[in-house]
Amino acid sequence: MSGLELRHVRKAFGAHEVFPDLSLEVEHGEHVAIFGPSGCGKTLLLRLIAGIYDPDAGDILMDGRSILDLAPDRRGIGMAFQNFALYPHMSAFDNIASPLSAHGNSAPTEHVREIAGLLKIDHVLSHAPRALSNGQKQRTALARALVGEPKLLLLDDPLRNVDAKLRYEMRLELPKLLRGFDATVLYVTQDYKEAMALGHRIAVMSRGTIRQFGTPEEIYYQPADVEIARLFGDPTINLLQLQPEKNEGGVHIRLSEVAVPLPGGDTLPTGRECTVGLRPEVLAFVDADVPAAIPVTVEAETPLNEKVVSLVRTSCGHELLVSRPAGTPAPASGPAHIGVDPGRLLLFDPSSGDRIALQDAVSTRGGSTT
Amino acid sequence: MDHTSPLETIFRRVALGVILVFFLFPIFWIVLMSFQTNEQILRIPPRVFFSPTLSNYKALISGELITTVGSLKLTFMHNLWNSFFLSTSSVLVALVLGVPAAYAFARFKFRLGEDIAFTLLSIRFAPPLLILLPLSLLFNEIGLSDTYIGLIWVYQLICLPLIVWIVRGYFEDISPDIEHAYRIDGHSWAQTFFRIAVPLARPGIAAAGLLSFIFAWNNFVFALILGSADKQPVTVGALAFVTAAGISYGQIAAAIVLSILPTLALALYAQRYLVEGLSLGAVKG
Amino acid sequence: MNRRVLPYLLSLPALIVCIGIIVPFVIAIYYSMQRYNLALPYLRGFIWFGNYQSLFTSSEFWKTVTVSLLYTVFTVGIELFLGLGTALLLRRPTTFNNIAAILLLLPLMTAPAIASLMWKLMTNPGFGILSYLISLVGITNFKWASSPTTALFTVILVDIWVYTPFIMVLLIAGLRALPRQPFEAAELDGVPRTFVFFRITLPMLMPYIITAVLFRLIDSIQQFDIIYAMTQGGPGDSTLVFQVAAYLEFFQYTNVGRSAAILMVLWVITYVLSLVFVKNWRRLRERAHGAV
Repeated sequence: MSGLELRHVRKAFGAHEVFPDLSLEVEHGEHVAIFGPSGCGKTLLLRLIAGIYDPDAGDILMDGRSILDLAPDRRGIGMAFQNFALYPHMSAFDNIASPLSAHGNSAPTEHVREIAGLLKIDHVLSHAPRALSNGQKQRTALARALVGEPKLLLLDDPLRNVDAKLRYEMRLELPKLLRGFDATVLYVTQDYKEAMALGHRIAVMSRGTIRQFGTPEEIYYQPADVEIARLFGDPTINLLQLQPEKNEGGVHIRLSEVAVPLPGGDTLPTGRECTVGLRPEVLAFVDADVPAAIPVTVEAETPLNEKVVSLVRTSCGHELLVSRPAGTPAPASGPAHIGVDPGRLLLFDPSSGDRIALQDAVSTRGGSTT
Repeated sequence: MDHTSPLETIFRRVALGVILVFFLFPIFWIVLMSFQTNEQILRIPPRVFFSPTLSNYKALISGELITTVGSLKLTFMHNLWNSFFLSTSSVLVALVLGVPAAYAFARFKFRLGEDIAFTLLSIRFAPPLLILLPLSLLFNEIGLSDTYIGLIWVYQLICLPLIVWIVRGYFEDISPDIEHAYRIDGHSWAQTFFRIAVPLARPGIAAAGLLSFIFAWNNFVFALILGSADKQPVTVGALAFVTAAGISYGQIAAAIVLSILPTLALALYAQRYLVEGLSLGAVKG
Repeated sequence: MNRRVLPYLLSLPALIVCIGIIVPFVIAIYYSMQRYNLALPYLRGFIWFGNYQSLFTSSEFWKTVTVSLLYTVFTVGIELFLGLGTALLLRRPTTFNNIAAILLLLPLMTAPAIASLMWKLMTNPGFGILSYLISLVGITNFKWASSPTTALFTVILVDIWVYTPFIMVLLIAGLRALPRQPFEAAELDGVPRTFVFFRITLPMLMPYIITAVLFRLIDSIQQFDIIYAMTQGGPGDSTLVFQVAAYLEFFQYTNVGRSAAILMVLWVITYVLSLVFVKNWRRLRERAHGAV
C-alpha cells in the first residue's frame, strides 16, 4: 500500500489552471524530492496534501484512504514552511511542543528536548523566534514538524532561507536525520544537489506536471528531456545541434571532423538534426593517438573545488566544457585532444526535447513518468 | 543635522508655546474653577492663586447640595455610572461581535463579507440622526425606549465599525502560514483563532477597544435622543446640569472635570494604542 | 465542509447589527417621502418628493446649507493648517515633542458637548476668563455665542479646539513614517527648505492629509454635539447646521417627514464623500505603508 497517492488532481486559481492532471504515488517510508523551478507549483502541491487548499478534482490518499474530507488538523502530517511560520509570541520550546499539546500530551518536555538535541537547538529553547538566527529558526520549524512523529512529512524548501554554509552542512545532515524517522517524506527544493542528496526518488516538476519521476541516477543518466538534463549537473551539460551520419561503420556524429560512434544508433533517423548532450565529465583529455580523439583548442581553465573545468573549442566551432578531477594533468591552453565516452552520450529530439533512447538494452524508455 | 537660525528657533518655540497654551489652557482653567467657590469665580480680575475648596466635588459625589433655596438632589453620580456601564458594555459587545467578523473578512473572501464590511463602513460615515430619529419612534413601539439594552444596541453604531475596521487590518497582517502551521500541528480552527490570531492581533484589538470606549463615553446625541432621564450618561447629564436652577458655576466645572477625567486618564495611560487606533492602523507602531 | 460555512457564521452577529441599522435607515427614507407630523397624525400621507421640493424652495433650508458649508470649510481648513503646522513642529521624536503631542491629544479626548460647556463657561460675559482676557486688549462686550454675528465664530472655535489634534496626530504619524533618504539626499544636495517642503514632504504626506481631511469633512458637515450644546442652533438660525436643523424639526416642530428629508440630503453629501474615501482607502493605506 502506498504511503501517499495523488490521483488525477486538478487545481485552478481563478482562470489559471495550476495542475491540469497530477498523479503521483509514493511508497510508505520513501523520501521523495520534488524539484522544479519557481512557479511550477511545488509549494501548492504540498499545501494541497496538507489540506490548506482543496483540489478541484481528483483524490489524495494516505495509506490507501482518502484524506480529502479531513481537515488539516486531522491528517497526521508534519510540515516545515519555507518562511518557518514560527509562532512569534511563543518560545522555541512551545513552538516545538505545539503538535504534542494538540494531541493532549501534557508533559512534552522529554520529547521536545530529545528532538531539540538531535537538531542542536536545545540551548535556545527558551528564546522567542525573533531572537533566533535563520538557521536556528529553520531547525525549530523542522523540530516542530518532526516531534509529533507524523506519518507524512512535508518539507517546503526548508534550506532556502538559510545561509550557504549552513545549507551545505544540512544537506549532509538532513538525510541522516530523516532516516531515523519512519515517515514518508516529501521534500521540495529548487536546488538539484539537495534533491539528489535527499531523495530515494526525485519528481521533477514543471508548470504543474511531473516530467519525470525516478531515482537520482535515472534522472541524471537518463533524463526524460533536455530541460531536465540541463537542470541537473554542474557545470551544465554541453548541448550541440548535430546531424548523425550513417555509413558502413554504424551511426556516428562528427566533431572536429572526427567521427564519434553512437552505439545502438541503428534505429536513429539520420539526415535529421538532433540535440546531442555531453556532460562535461563525460569528456576527457586524451592522447592524440587514441581512436576517435577529437582535436580541440583549450581556451580557458577554471578550478572549481574538487574539479577543474576547461573551455575548449572544436575545429567546427563548437564550444565545450570539459571537467576533470583536480590533480589530473591536462593542457591548460593551446591544442589538445578530447575523447567522448559514447555510452554516456545523450540524444534529444530537437523539437520536443524528449530524450531519444540510444541502446535498447540499457534504456528503459526514459524512467517512469506518470 | 539642523541648521536653523536662532530667529527660527525662537519662532518655533513661541509658536509651540502658543499652541500648547491654546489647547491646554481650557482644561487647566476649568480644573481650577472646580476648586473655587462662586465668590472666587465671580471675582474680577480672576486669580490663579486662591485657597481651593472641595465643596463642589463633595456636593456632586454625595448627591446633595445645600443652597440658598434649600436642598437639591443631584443625580450626577448616577450619570457617571451610566456612562461607565454603557461604554464598557457596548465595547465588550462590539468586541465579541466585531473581532470574529473582522477575522472572517480578513481571511475569507466572500461576497457577503465585502457587503457587510462596506455597510459597517458606511454606517461610520452616515449622519447619526438618520438612524436615531426613526429608531426613537421604533423603540417606543417595540419597548426598547427606556432600556440599557436599547442603548447598548445603538452604541454598536459607534463601536462596531471602528473595531471591525481596525482589527481587520491587524488580522490581515498576520502571515496565514502561521495559522496553517498551527492547524497542521493538530489544533482545531477555534484553537487557532483564540491562541494564534487573537493574541497576535492584540495591539489592534486594544487600540480599537480603547478608541471605541472613548468615543462611546464622549457620545452625546445618542443618549440625548434615545435615553430616558435615569439612563443618561454624563454628557447629557452635564448639559442638563447647566440649566438646573441653583447650581453654582464651580459645581458645573466640577461636573465637567468628572466627565472628562476617565477619558483623559485613559488617553494618557494608553496613548500608544490611541495613536494606532486614531491613525486607523494606517501606520503601524 | 464547514470551511464554507465558517465565514458566514463568524460574521452573522455583525450582520444582525447591520440589519438593525439598515432598517431605521430605510424607514427614514420612507418617512422623508411622507407628509408626517406627529402633531397632525391624521394628515399623514405619501407625497413623494414634496418634502424635498419644499426644502429646496425654502430660504431657511438654504440658510442651513450655507451655515453648514461655512462651518465645514472654516473648521476643516483652519484645522488642517494648524494641525499640519503643529505636526511639523513636533516632527522629531524627542521626549519633549512626544510629551507635547500626547498632551495636545487631550482636547480630542473630551466629549465635544462637554467642550462646548467648557467654552461656554470661559466665554461667560460675567466671569469667563476669555471675556476678561480680551477686555484687557480693549474688546468689551463681545457677545460670543449670544449674538447671531459671533455665534458661528464661537462654535467654529470650539470645533477647532476639539478636532485639530486629530489631524495633528495623523500627520505626525505620517511625517515620522516617511523614509529619510529623500530628505538626506536633498540636504546633501543643498536643496532649499521650501522646495523640500513643497515638493518632497507634502506630496509624500498626501495620503495622510487626504485621509485626515476626508474624515474631518464628513464629520464636520454633520456636527451636532458642539453646536447643540452651545447654542441649539441659535441665536436665530445663525448656527443652524444640518443635523441640528433636523433635530429641531423633529422634536420642536414634530415634522418627521421634513426632518427625514433634511437628513437624506445630508446623507447624500456624506455618502459621496465617504465613497471617495472608501474607494481609495486601500490605495491610501498601501501608499502610506509604501512610504514606511
